[in-house]
Amino acid sequence: MGVISMEKVDHLYWLGRYTERVYTTLRVFFHIYDRIIEQPEGMYSKYCEKLDIPDIYTSNRQFVQSYLFGEYNPDSVYSNMKRAYDNAVVLRDELSTTVLSYVQLALDTFDSCGKTTAPLLELQQVIDHLLAFWGGADDYVEQEDCRNILKCGKYVERLDLCIRLDYHGKDLEKEYRKLCNRLGKTGLSYSEKNLERIGEIILKEEDPKRCYREALGCLGGLLI
Amino acid sequence: MIHEEFVFISSGYLPQCEGIAPPKNIYSHISGIDLVLGKDGEWYILEDNLRIPSGASYPMIAREICRRVSPATFGNNSVVDNRNYAAMLKETMDWVNTGGIPVIMTPGRYNAAYFEHSYLAERTGSELATCTDLFVEDNYLYYRDYRGRKQKVGVIYRRISDDYLDPMTFLPESLIGIPNIMDVYRSGNVAIVNAPGNGVADDKGIYYFVPKMIRYYLGQEAILKNAPTYLPFYEEDRKYVLDHLEKLVIKGVAEAGGYGVIFGNELSRERLAQMKKVIEKESRRFIAQEVIDFQDMEVMDGDEKVLRKADLRAFVLSGEKTRVWPGGLTRFSRNADSFVVNSSQGGGFKDTWVLSQWKK
Repeated sequence: MGVISMEKVDHLYWLGRYTERVYTTLRVFFHIYDRIIEQPEGMYSKYCEKLDIPDIYTSNRQFVQSYLFGEYNPDSVYSNMKRAYDNAVVLRDELSTTVLSYVQLALDTFDSCGKTTAPLLELQQVIDHLLAFWGGADDYVEQEDCRNILKCGKYVERLDLCIRLDYHGKDLEKEYRKLCNRLGKTGLSYSEKNLERIGEIILKEEDPKRCYREALGCLGGLLI
Repeated sequence: MIHEEFVFISSGYLPQCEGIAPPKNIYSHISGIDLVLGKDGEWYILEDNLRIPSGASYPMIAREICRRVSPATFGNNSVVDNRNYAAMLKETMDWVNTGGIPVIMTPGRYNAAYFEHSYLAERTGSELATCTDLFVEDNYLYYRDYRGRKQKVGVIYRRISDDYLDPMTFLPESLIGIPNIMDVYRSGNVAIVNAPGNGVADDKGIYYFVPKMIRYYLGQEAILKNAPTYLPFYEEDRKYVLDHLEKLVIKGVAEAGGYGVIFGNELSRERLAQMKKVIEKESRRFIAQEVIDFQDMEVMDGDEKVLRKADLRAFVLSGEKTRVWPGGLTRFSRNADSFVVNSSQGGGFKDTWVLSQWKK
């Protein structure tokens, strides 16, 4: 129809962010989980610090359970998956039932993963459903504005996580350029000053890590 | 045919709707007619739902899934393809559209029928909107988009009841309505589906008169029978109802969703006496019907096949033409002894197959 309400923009943006958060943190978690098998207790503390989430965990095992599946842990990947679903379910008319169903599948699969002893195998299916969701969004969502806002949320989240998790400079540059490209197409109001500063930090700073905190602040205040 | 007084004291009668002619003069764009199949093989109409009947989306999605799960069922049986409900609804909305975008208005995601609202919006290509997305300006209704642009709304399929539709006209405390939408509607600048004020026709007391209306206006006898109904409002009927209350079913005239339904045979002697007093005192509030012993239907209860009471909600759409959707919502009771099939009271549903005359 070509018209999107402000409320739906908000849901689209956060759907993009939460699906990306689940997708990337799951992929990163696969590496962490692999290391946890042999490494000493407490190695998750650094990870929590990077993500700015409270370290409320008491053991590697409890970390795996609570950080991944904790229903009442607001920072768990599962909680983020639920938030993605909450945003998606009010967007059926924009996304289509087909695309929405992949978010539902991801959530349902996540639910069943928590009951197994080797969850990584099934969590791969969650990732697969999220990839299908993104593919579906490209294929089924007719409105360009919808796709742009959804992807804008995705790239903001991706860049945020890449900065926090010390991704390589080349990766940061790639994600930054994707965000710049998408942001201009959304019609959303944003702070050009913030965007420029993020670019300076990523592209020009000799020691960008020194300014990462500032970059995250600029990213958080990007949309007006 | 119907006493004026009987209409005016209906709780569904809204004086605010007096004198309004809706676009194309259509009041009930979507009618949900509840039918049962009696053990005598006769179909009976139990009630006419003319306000905002719900439920079409459930057989729609059930049909989609069943065709995937069991294609042979549809290949081997001549089930009429009815996957055109959304197209029918769109045509109905387009027919009365006053020039603008089509909108389906929902109270929000926590409404029990939210799935239906969003599914129908998707399938009809309408915008799904809440009250915060819509506003009235210069006697037109607009949808506000995120860029600050406004789109004129030509037809709104509202899924909230009349009382909450416009706080300036109906309940002032409504937070889910659109202020002044009734002014826009009164001026003919937007079509509202279904028309506000339909509650008076939806009143179960008016249902009693439908066969008489058909006879008066069309000079024909109704093809489908009403369940034998009595109006305690009239002395003769009241006497019969009071004398035979224990074998009748009593229904509140303005109730919906299976609420306000009382079976006389389930009442204690004391409650029967109380009920008689209420009926005598507030006779316009009720109708009484003979209990139709309708046919049981096989349903699955877990892995077990059981027999349950069921009814059929048929959907009739009125646009340029009036058409019956070839299918409908079959609702069944979950409890073996219950006649109540409403989903709000735990009832289940099935798709409805209309078998074609054409045999493969």
